[in-house]
Amino acid sequence: MTSDVPAPTPAPAPPSGADAPADPATEPSAASAPPTAPTPAPIPAGAPAAGATTAVQGVPAYARPALATPGSTPTAVLTAPAPGGGVRPAGAPAASAPAPTQSVDDDLRVVAPALTGGRELLRAPVSAATWRAVSQATVGLWLLLGASIALVLALGFSIAFAVLVVGIPLLVLTLLVARPLAGLERSRLHAQLGVDIPAPEYRSPVQARLWRRAWGVLTDVRSWAHLAYALLGLGVTVLQALLVWVLGGFALAMVFFPLYVASTDVPVSRVPFLVVVGLVGTWVWPLALQALTLLHVRLARGLLGWPRSAAAVQAARVAAQAAQDRASQAEVRAVQLRETRTRAVGTAEDDRRRIERDLHDGAQQRLVALGVELGVAKRAAAQDPVAAAAALDHAHREVKETLAELRDLVRGIHPAVLTDRGLDAALSALAARCTVPVTVDVPDPASLAAAGPSAQAAAYFVTAEALTNVARHSGARTATVRATVRDSVLRLEVVDGGRGGATARPGSGLDGLRSRVEVLDGTLTLDSPVGGGTRLTVEVPCAS
Amino acid sequence: MRIVIAEDSVLLLDGLTRLLEAEGHEVTGHKTADELVAAMSRADALPDLLVTDVRMPPSHTDEGLRAAVHLRSIHKRLPVLVLSQYVEQRYAAELFAGDVRALGYVLKDRVADVDEFLDVVGRVAGGGTVIDPEVVAQLLARGRRAGLDALTARERDVLGLMAEGRSNAAIAERLVIGLGAVEKHVTSILTKLDLAPDGDDHRRVLAVLRWLEHAPTGGDRP
Repeated sequence: MTSDVPAPTPAPAPPSGADAPADPATEPSAASAPPTAPTPAPIPAGAPAAGATTAVQGVPAYARPALATPGSTPTAVLTAPAPGGGVRPAGAPAASAPAPTQSVDDDLRVVAPALTGGRELLRAPVSAATWRAVSQATVGLWLLLGASIALVLALGFSIAFAVLVVGIPLLVLTLLVARPLAGLERSRLHAQLGVDIPAPEYRSPVQARLWRRAWGVLTDVRSWAHLAYALLGLGVTVLQALLVWVLGGFALAMVFFPLYVASTDVPVSRVPFLVVVGLVGTWVWPLALQALTLLHVRLARGLLGWPRSAAAVQAARVAAQAAQDRASQAEVRAVQLRETRTRAVGTAEDDRRRIERDLHDGAQQRLVALGVELGVAKRAAAQDPVAAAAALDHAHREVKETLAELRDLVRGIHPAVLTDRGLDAALSALAARCTVPVTVDVPDPASLAAAGPSAQAAAYFVTAEALTNVARHSGARTATVRATVRDSVLRLEVVDGGRGGATARPGSGLDGLRSRVEVLDGTLTLDSPVGGGTRLTVEVPCAS
Repeated sequence: MRIVIAEDSVLLLDGLTRLLEAEGHEVTGHKTADELVAAMSRADALPDLLVTDVRMPPSHTDEGLRAAVHLRSIHKRLPVLVLSQYVEQRYAAELFAGDVRALGYVLKDRVADVDEFLDVVGRVAGGGTVIDPEVVAQLLARGRRAGLDALTARERDVLGLMAEGRSNAAIAERLVIGLGAVEKHVTSILTKLDLAPDGDDHRRVLAVLRWLEHAPTGGDRP
């Protein structure tokens, strides 16, 4: 038994550097593995319930169906796919992969609210953003100073020794060390200022050759940007620190000047002016500090995180990846639909041919013979009553046999009991006609009504074929038919304890039924080891 | 007898009417179940027999069967003969759920066997129970139930005929054996299947049917 999943044309390669999605359909499945149909796409909401008819109002009691049947009760179509229904190829990035770049406005609100004016401007000296910036500058000054000194030294050594071979590895090492340091700095800014800077991706070629990798590190713009940040960030932080200690201290001193003016040689007439200057300074330094912090954060975003262009590229890449996943899924689905449709049309065509042949070879021939018999009887009626009676007798038998044949044929086209009484009753009828004792196990007959008419019909015909095979070939002494509806999937099992070894050869009855089931997005699995009985399992979504 | 027929096929209605009128019955025909029920509710006297098809307009599912069950629930004593293109045990179970006197359920094809059909008409109108051999065959096909294995081939034949609602005399005639032999077989069957020995034909039919439908299947689980 071979897999029915077609191998679609491979999707175009994803952009370099991205994880190639493991497309489930392109992986060759083992020839012995049972077929796994690609997961169907969810049915669009609002799909009408097939076969649902409106209930007739004012129907007298006797004319109402005794039981709910799929033909008379509008069945609810569940539009949600079954759990685990969505396919996401392995390695596909999650939807939240790159944080979109924060706009200046976003950062403004977080680290420099005073610049937005209004109440925040008045609150600047006591605002949380101001004091967060003070703590950031205090800590950052020492950290960046240390980092800068170390990096500049390392860079200096590397360049000095570049002539000798040892400089190049040192430079590579420096650039590599800059990465975790950048991570540390991003974490610090996040902790102290509350800004979230997403980590960038580094160019790391996967080629095994060492020098290629080293070259990759050397030509990686991000790592160099980290080095640049160490210096530029240090500059900004020094400015912030000066603002806080010099301008902030001066403003404080001027505001409280009246308290110790006596100990200085400043004339008292100047005091009001100095106090005003102090008060103005009290508002100026937080404003300036917040502005510098905003500059710092933008700098960090550009040099420690993604550059703006790269972020856009990354977002585009994720979108493209998602689109490609959808496209390849759609392609798999399209191939599957084309296949099942072709086979369905073929199966329907075969069925029509079979019906035509049965009618032609059976009922039609019999009726012709009947005409002949009746003609003979008519001619003989006057002269030879005995012969006429014999001919009529023959004709009568002929008619009864024709009727029996037509009855079986019509039942094979569509069983009335399925429409009138639902799948449970139809399965019982099949079991009753089977020469091997069959147990029908339907734990919840009412639930089967949730399955659509096509699903029920498919289940019925699969059972009919399976039981025919059980009676003819299996040698089993008993068989079991089990039908359940769970998670809006109709599951049918026909199990026998016979000799096994059954196959669904192309062109066989089971093969035709498989395409019938697959058209409904269902699966048909045949498990029949030689000497180990046969288990036929069919699963069809209820909404078909 | 006064016979009412509900049958949507004009050809068959016509054929049945002529057949029964030739036998000296008085026949009224209806083409839908609604028409039938309406006519029955207007009628001053019940007919001696109601013959109804299962599938009729408007929905062509089972309104004939439902009309029959409905009318039987109102008129307990109304003899009803249901004709069907298919006989399935599920329909039979619905029809024979209550009292089984004067109730018949046979394949439409049996009409072609005029003598047998007239016999069925007579038996149902006379208060008998008739179940199509096809239904019995279906029930027996589930076959090798615990207990059935214990029956001899001849006893199994007798059981089938019992399930069709035939009297001992009819079974004797059918199998070309003496009445005493039939009685012996019946007693043996009832004993083997653990059914109450009961002289009443109808209750006997019912017991046999119930047993066939619900007896546990035998055979070892492989």
